[in-house]
Amino acid sequence: MADAESNPDSLSSQVPRRGFMALTVLAAGGLIAAIYTIPGVAYLLGPALLSQKEETWLPLGAASKVPLGSPTLFKATVKRTTGWIVNEEQIAAFVLTEDGREFIAMSNICTHLGCRVRWIAERQQFLSPCHNGVFDKYGNVVSGPPPRPLDRYPVKEENGQLFILGG
Amino acid sequence: MTLRFGTWLDERLGWRRVWEAIFLRKVPKVNWLYTLGSAALFLAVNQIVTGILLTVYYVPTPDHAWNSVQYITTQVPAGWLIRGLHHWGASAMVVVTVLHLLRVVFYGAYKYPREVTWLTGVGLLLVVLGFGFTGYLLPWDQKAFWATTVGTRIAGVTPVIGDAVLRILRGGEELSAVTLVRFFGAHVWMLPVALVLLLLVHLYLVIRIGISAHPRRED
Repeated sequence: MADAESNPDSLSSQVPRRGFMALTVLAAGGLIAAIYTIPGVAYLLGPALLSQKEETWLPLGAASKVPLGSPTLFKATVKRTTGWIVNEEQIAAFVLTEDGREFIAMSNICTHLGCRVRWIAERQQFLSPCHNGVFDKYGNVVSGPPPRPLDRYPVKEENGQLFILGG
Repeated sequence: MTLRFGTWLDERLGWRRVWEAIFLRKVPKVNWLYTLGSAALFLAVNQIVTGILLTVYYVPTPDHAWNSVQYITTQVPAGWLIRGLHHWGASAMVVVTVLHLLRVVFYGAYKYPREVTWLTGVGLLLVVLGFGFTGYLLPWDQKAFWATTVGTRIAGVTPVIGDAVLRILRGGEELSAVTLVRFFGAHVWMLPVALVLLLLVHLYLVIRIGISAHPRRED
């Protein structure tokens, strides 16, 4: 068998008739199996690998509405396509400014396991209700299980309107 | 190495005897028409594999059925191919099964001792037609809707029990969400179970009794 593979010219002389038939059936069967398996795997994995989120600048509202020194929750509407269903979903961001010119926008999703954080004004901290994750005003972890600070959105101001980059 | 593993496994499973019974059995000298049964079996496997894949994305409700089929055809990688294989395989299935039946009729292969093979074969043909009838509705487009309207109405003209049959098929007076989902249930659960059970008996008998020889002049 090894000889036949290394020197296909001598197939007829070295592989017996029955062996040749077996080889042919095996090759044809393998080809058919591949014709089904390769598209089948692409079909199953496709949506998991292809769905790329499209990021756009989402309007949050007037920059003048953000109070100085206190994180404030703003909501933006995004259009999300999942499979054949198009949904309008809301994403929320805490916007903080100290001087009315520089803005930061933080996601309200806890970096531990994805619960939504709340701003507790008296303590000047964000609190995640699920596992007591605590973040300071700028989203840095104070205590609890969160592995990293709150995620930030790129933010820009145009003609008095605030936008975040998300999707 | 593979030979030793095969022997190790054979001592425990006895798979070589099964293999020999299926693939190394003696067959009489026959012509190409005797491959129609194997062709039907191949198509059945094609329908099962592509059908299982289609259920990954298909949703059998009036508000999602058509959209999910469009999603499969235009968005999912190779979705057009999987759906196409299932679509054309379905037609081929009916054609090949009928041709297989005609071969058996014309060569008299249904006679003793193969009557049970023949009966399960007829059952399989009815199952295949059931697959065709129920599967045609699932894309939930205009053609599907009106074909099933007409098809169930045809069942409805049966004397005496016609009206009951029509209502049972539709799951009510009109073609509706109930019709779609019961056709889906029949297509992916009831008929496949019937197909596999009948097929196992059919194939067991083919292997046990062997296929009939080409009839001779003096037969």
